[in-house]
Amino acid sequence: MLVASSLRDSTSKNNDTEETIVGVDMDDFPGGSLLEYSIDFDELFAGLDEDPDALPDLEILGDYYSVSAGSGDERGQSSDDGNDVVSGSAGSPFGSGSGLDTSSVCSPSEGAAVVDQAEEVGAKKDGKEHQGHFGKVKKLAASAAKAGRSSKTGRGDGKRKVKVDWTPELHKRFVQAVEQLGEKAVPSRILEVMGADGLTRHNIASHLQKYRSHRKHLIAREAEAASWNQRRHLYGGARAGGVGKRAGVSPWLVPTIGFPPPMPQPLHRPLGPLHVWGHPSGGHSQSNTMWPKHIVPHHHLRPPHLQPRPVWAPPHPHHLPYGPSQGMPCYPSPPQRFVAPPVPGIPHRAMYKNDPRAAAGQPPRLHPPLDSTPSNETIDAALEDVLAKPWLPLPIGLKPPAIDTVVGELQRHGVPQIPPS
Amino acid sequence: MSNSSASYIHMVQHLIEKCLIFHMTKEECMEALSKHGNIQPVITSTVWSELEKENKEFFKLYTSSQVKVKGGAETGALIHKMISDTSKDDSDE
Repeated sequence: MLVASSLRDSTSKNNDTEETIVGVDMDDFPGGSLLEYSIDFDELFAGLDEDPDALPDLEILGDYYSVSAGSGDERGQSSDDGNDVVSGSAGSPFGSGSGLDTSSVCSPSEGAAVVDQAEEVGAKKDGKEHQGHFGKVKKLAASAAKAGRSSKTGRGDGKRKVKVDWTPELHKRFVQAVEQLGEKAVPSRILEVMGADGLTRHNIASHLQKYRSHRKHLIAREAEAASWNQRRHLYGGARAGGVGKRAGVSPWLVPTIGFPPPMPQPLHRPLGPLHVWGHPSGGHSQSNTMWPKHIVPHHHLRPPHLQPRPVWAPPHPHHLPYGPSQGMPCYPSPPQRFVAPPVPGIPHRAMYKNDPRAAAGQPPRLHPPLDSTPSNETIDAALEDVLAKPWLPLPIGLKPPAIDTVVGELQRHGVPQIPPS
Repeated sequence: MSNSSASYIHMVQHLIEKCLIFHMTKEECMEALSKHGNIQPVITSTVWSELEKENKEFFKLYTSSQVKVKGGAETGALIHKMISDTSKDDSDE
């Protein structure tokens, strides 16, 4: 994805190679325009299934460049120019390879092998129709790349590929590096920052890709959940009648009469613990979490979390980060006058007091209950939501008890069958 | 077989968590689940207890804040009542 888009960028720019991420020198392409060369995305992504650590087969793209290297020999043969990316033959067009570090994955020897093949083909096909030429070269290069890769992965030859084990510790370092680098988080830099031996840029790159896609996914989910919650709770009687700075914006803030305004530091201290990929991690509300989310759509306090197994961390009474995530409901601390230390995620009950009043003028669904429990309608709505959509993530995400234990207990209490008939 | 038990229990947990958001007590939760979800109170109670065992810290905090909340809630209710009483204009007088 990364590469493809940068490739497209370069096609549209067409001239100044220094600026393109790709660094492809347009002059090397006889046609002068990359538009003639189509990228076979199937080919590109074909490798994904085989190799979980691999990116889309960027080596193929590497071959596009090597074609240029092939046809423009002087460039191809020149050495690294200080570019640590790939050995000169395949890599130099990259310039200061930033976004395309991933494509520099080919180890020098592979790159050379690939280039050699491409060069051969290039030499043979010189003068032919470019598209056809390129198409063939591409195919050949692709197979060369695959061959190269398979020797690297050892499929068929006996595995020589070293699979990276992304331990929580390692992942934490990774995430820290990414956070540190911010916009500039590219695999080569991440690698530098992490200072991890035994990690290749390729490993980093693919991990980065997964990380990013996961984050997007999380954010999308939160946004979705927030909008559901909004609907439910705005009508469900948490309308705090415009008190507070954010009435009506975020569902979870609505009942917050007097709650401090949402802190505008969304994810500085994401709530530690959940590792998305199933690595349990003890944690704390310190920030080095697994997938900290830098973007928080609203300061909604309780986006449904995703992990089945959150680690509960003690709340900070006065500083509840607004991390959506990890099943640690993130509520701001209630105003001081409510003495209760917030159990994070649990809105202060007293809030619901005000609902009825405020909601009296509001959508018809609400009658002001005068008792001290939240409105029945609200509860009903919430429960129905669960019943109707069992796939929704748990709102708090408490550690579930062992099924057998529960079943046993129930049997002891006279419930032989679950679900009861 | 066990799968349906597992998913049922999971559902009950989910429902309980929703109640926790409302800061309900165990009893209130049992009632709510029975009323709105047709879950036998004993089931709710059992799952709640098991959750409590697995998440002691959470429930400890939950309970202690409940105590304070309750106080606040009742005061709030009182105030609310007073307000709505006064807003009823003459009808009450």
